[in-house]
Amino acid sequence: MTCGQAKRLFADHWSQSLSADQEIALEAHLGGCDVCRPEADRLGALWSDLARLPAEEPGPGLRPRFYDLLRGARSQPASANKPQMSWRIAAGIALLAAGVPIGYALRPKDPELAQLREEVSSMRQLVALSLLQQQSASERLRGVSWAYRAEPSDSEVLRALLDRVNSDPNVNVRLAAVDALHAFGSSDAARKAVLGSLEKQDAPLVQVAIVDLLVDLHDRDAKPVLRRMARNVSTDAGVRQRVQWALEKLQ
Amino acid sequence: MIATDNFLMARVGAGELSKLAVLFERHHRALFRYFVSMTRSRETAEDLVQDVFFRMLRYRASYDPERPFAAWMYQIARRASLDQAQKRGAEVVGIEGFLDRPVELVSPSPGPEERASRGQRLALLRRALDRLPEEKREILVLARFQGMKYEAIAEVLGCEAAAVKVRVYRAMRALEQIYFALEKEKAS
Repeated sequence: MTCGQAKRLFADHWSQSLSADQEIALEAHLGGCDVCRPEADRLGALWSDLARLPAEEPGPGLRPRFYDLLRGARSQPASANKPQMSWRIAAGIALLAAGVPIGYALRPKDPELAQLREEVSSMRQLVALSLLQQQSASERLRGVSWAYRAEPSDSEVLRALLDRVNSDPNVNVRLAAVDALHAFGSSDAARKAVLGSLEKQDAPLVQVAIVDLLVDLHDRDAKPVLRRMARNVSTDAGVRQRVQWALEKLQ
Repeated sequence: MIATDNFLMARVGAGELSKLAVLFERHHRALFRYFVSMTRSRETAEDLVQDVFFRMLRYRASYDPERPFAAWMYQIARRASLDQAQKRGAEVVGIEGFLDRPVELVSPSPGPEERASRGQRLALLRRALDRLPEEKREILVLARFQGMKYEAIAEVLGCEAAAVKVRVYRAMRALEQIYFALEKEKAS
């Protein structure tokens, strides 16, 4: 291998995209070349340092600006039909005022309103799901806040929240996700999953939050698990006390 | 299953504008970093990120789902950056203030001396990077900060991957020269 050939491989070498054969050939050349070896070392060190430069983070105003932009874009088709919409609304109000039932019947049938409602709901779901997957705990907490705006029947958001409760490394995120699950209490699947998560938790704070949630949801099916926890000597003393209280409440 | 960028952008193109929110959450930080490196102004970088998503909305129908999304997005980003540079002429916004900001280390707790020495080295490296000619800085930002593969960069820049690799090498050589010149300047 010539020095020129070796240097053409440097970029792939830094990005670790050389094949094993190419890597061996390059190392063999560098081992015996007093010109290429120091250059490879110096540039390689700079390449590594580039990755250590701290990443600039955008300010807090960027996200709201984007969502304003998105809202504006989504409202454009509706505003194009504004005269028609205004007429419909005015007609609806007039009919309602006159006490004619058809005025009320018109509203839920309006396809534009229904579509808009569906899109808003879909957007909330997407934002919540996306934030819940972020690496930063504060972003995941924001995701939990967005989950409150999702429909209680939204199974994807429910799954994402349960996933946070069961596996998030940050206790604050787990606690916030437990709180957000209150809205999903009407779902049998949610209640079962919450109960299943209780014994897996290692943080007493989260265990207490789940116990409180089960009491709020009047989940009598939780009693066998709670009794088991109350008997288990390895359960945290504070948690056991809360479990006893919960068992009394669920009688 | 997590939807791919291409799928999401195709849905935006089909009228599901809300899917753009997911793309924003995935990419706005990387775009911001790209623009900060290119413009050296946080304020301008935020405006440009907003502009990129605005253009994605406007040109959503032109997106081809067969092409990599990142390449399309960075082509838009380059165009936005170019338009913005033309608008403000040769003015460089707040460059001194930007360069003088201290470099905070992100690596796991080194000792105080090592920390100080590494901090100085990185501050110098950032100054060197900022002094690189724009096309050299851009290729390093795309390859190193954005973690893009050379093939994807080739698509953004409209050249062959082999040419990208050569440009990366040359940009590193130029960066090294500026870095050592700055080091000498500092020592004298």
